[in-house]
Amino acid sequence: MRNLWLIAKHEYLKVAGKKSFVLGTLGMPVLMVVVTAISILMTAGGRGRLPFGYVDHAGLLIDPVVPPSAMGESAATFRAFPDVAAAEAALEDGDIQALYIVPHDYMATGEIELRYLTREPSLITRDDFRALLRANLLANYDPLIRERVIAGSSITIRAADGSREFAEDNFLDFMIPFVAAFLFVFAVMNAGGYMLQAVTDEKENRTVEVLATSVRPEELIGGKAIGLIGVGLTQLAIWGATAVAGLIVASFFIPMPASFSIPWSLLAVVSLFFLPAYALIAGMMTAIGGIVTDFQQGQQISGILNLLFMLPFFFVMVILSRPDNPVVIALTLFPPSAFVTITMRWATTVVPLWQLVTSWLLLVASAIFSVWAASRIFRAGMLRYGQTVNVKAVFAALRKPVQ
Amino acid sequence: MTTIRVSNVSKAFGEVHAVRDVSFEVYPGEIFGLLGPNGAGKTTTIRMMLDIFRPDSGSIEVFDGPLTEAKKNRIGYMPEERGLYKDLKLAPTLVFLATLKGVKESVARERVDEWLERFDLADYAKQKIQNLSKGMQQKAQIIVTLLHDPDLLVIDEPFSGLDPVNTRLVKSIIEELCARGKTIIMSTHQMYQVEAMCNRIVLINRGRNVLYGEVQQIKRQFAGNALQVEGEADFDALPGVLEARRHNGAWHLALETGRDPQAVLQALAQQAGARIQKFEVAEPSLEDIFVATVQQAAEETPSYA
Repeated sequence: MRNLWLIAKHEYLKVAGKKSFVLGTLGMPVLMVVVTAISILMTAGGRGRLPFGYVDHAGLLIDPVVPPSAMGESAATFRAFPDVAAAEAALEDGDIQALYIVPHDYMATGEIELRYLTREPSLITRDDFRALLRANLLANYDPLIRERVIAGSSITIRAADGSREFAEDNFLDFMIPFVAAFLFVFAVMNAGGYMLQAVTDEKENRTVEVLATSVRPEELIGGKAIGLIGVGLTQLAIWGATAVAGLIVASFFIPMPASFSIPWSLLAVVSLFFLPAYALIAGMMTAIGGIVTDFQQGQQISGILNLLFMLPFFFVMVILSRPDNPVVIALTLFPPSAFVTITMRWATTVVPLWQLVTSWLLLVASAIFSVWAASRIFRAGMLRYGQTVNVKAVFAALRKPVQ
Repeated sequence: MTTIRVSNVSKAFGEVHAVRDVSFEVYPGEIFGLLGPNGAGKTTTIRMMLDIFRPDSGSIEVFDGPLTEAKKNRIGYMPEERGLYKDLKLAPTLVFLATLKGVKESVARERVDEWLERFDLADYAKQKIQNLSKGMQQKAQIIVTLLHDPDLLVIDEPFSGLDPVNTRLVKSIIEELCARGKTIIMSTHQMYQVEAMCNRIVLINRGRNVLYGEVQQIKRQFAGNALQVEGEADFDALPGVLEARRHNGAWHLALETGRDPQAVLQALAQQAGARIQKFEVAEPSLEDIFVATVQQAAEETPSYA
């Protein structure tokens, strides 16, 4: 047992001390901060400082009602012009960013013309103008009705027992699971790579024969897996802390939705699924390391296996549009794709409890099998320097341990 | 009391019989030579002794009983296929490997410092192993084998890659350990080292014991199987000569077992152009015995492959 922890510690320090790990771990939050900052800047600057002009031939905006803006954001400002010539002169003079022309027959056609000189107005400013029009089409209605029509409705999906729910309009509820899924895949690919390297290195540099006289193969593999799980947890802790810090900082710039709260249920599911998913990849990579002759050969095989973990990303449209499709359920239950599928479904629906429980049990069972099989395959292949272990030998090792 | 008792051990890998019915004993405080040509089954025998492989039949006792996890910490093993973590620093790697053998980390650090000093590697303690020369890596590997102060050392080709100064250093360390009552099993192809250091040997060829016993006794047994000749002739063409080797201006001829030196002398006298200044029966070196035994076995037995 002592050796298990010694190996875990050794493996943790070996990987965590690598420049590639430090760069990958710190680089990801930096990348996220940069991307978020760019998005904020683009969003903040999307409306520009100048107002937009409009010429209303349909007579809908004579005495305009200002629409309620989404999430309290400041909408673009609009300036009325009596005719197109005056508006175009203002556009030429740089007094307005762009010009909307509402034709006489707008009510019949719904067509609006947008003119600009150099910079096309962003989608959000076009939405602002549409909201302005809608608000004024409903000018005679009660402000509450007007606001409801413009804002639309929000559907909250709730499990029959009321234990879990998902609100459609909360973009953070949608975003966070996707970010979690992406980070998991990134962490898994990193950890898998490290595990593969750790195993093949010891074969390539022949340390394994000395280790074999000091520790049991189970201790060696178990220690490595624990060390790398520690590495993964460190990575996720750093990313999680950065994400929380990022949200706090972002809240100063972007108003957070009133309904936002820490997604405890998602955190609980991530915690439950993370360890067995990591153990599964650790076992798979160890087995590959035991079979192949060098790291490069192992990378080719592990690349294919990594695809299994990334499988849900190929079905993202199905997961978003039909989260309870049989294919999506299959991906939920399939151990390598379970974690990512469940976190992605968390963004769009309430995952039934039976699927969560079955998926977790299957994942745990496959993780246990993977580590058990890995130690047998590793033992069969550890002293075959320069020789690949063939399929027949792998099955023989699974049937009976090599002695 | 024995340190190692190997009794009628056999091991096959599929169709290949790596070891067949091998038996020998190693006693406390002796330097024991485990010899054999390449592919003879030495490494498989060592791996069975260390419980890396289990024998198909026969039994192995270590320190008078089966090998347990605790007993493994009393063994220092330097395999033929050796290496260390290339991208790690020397001293921490040595400390880690020592702790796996049950040594406390603080004690391991002290011992690492002492051994690095003795092997003239102290200046390289913080260097990555890949930056060390082959000889330095070899010395580091020897340190790994010694750090936990084992009672039994199993060392495969301990002098490979070492210069004469370091060879002498390793040799003196082995002799020191032996004087302290440690048991050393040494596998090497350097027969003069075996001759100089080992008390007893076992020679394994094609997976079987072919010679076993005290070095001096074996040499006496093979006396008459070697000749020392000065002069010029086609020695390889002589009947019964397994190998002709020039050494210090004289020819050293290894003879088949049972070959009469007088018959060789007669054949030499009849050879056209042969000019002989000196002809004497020599005490065979261990190398002669090794060559004679292995070559003779090759002529007598078909290959197992």
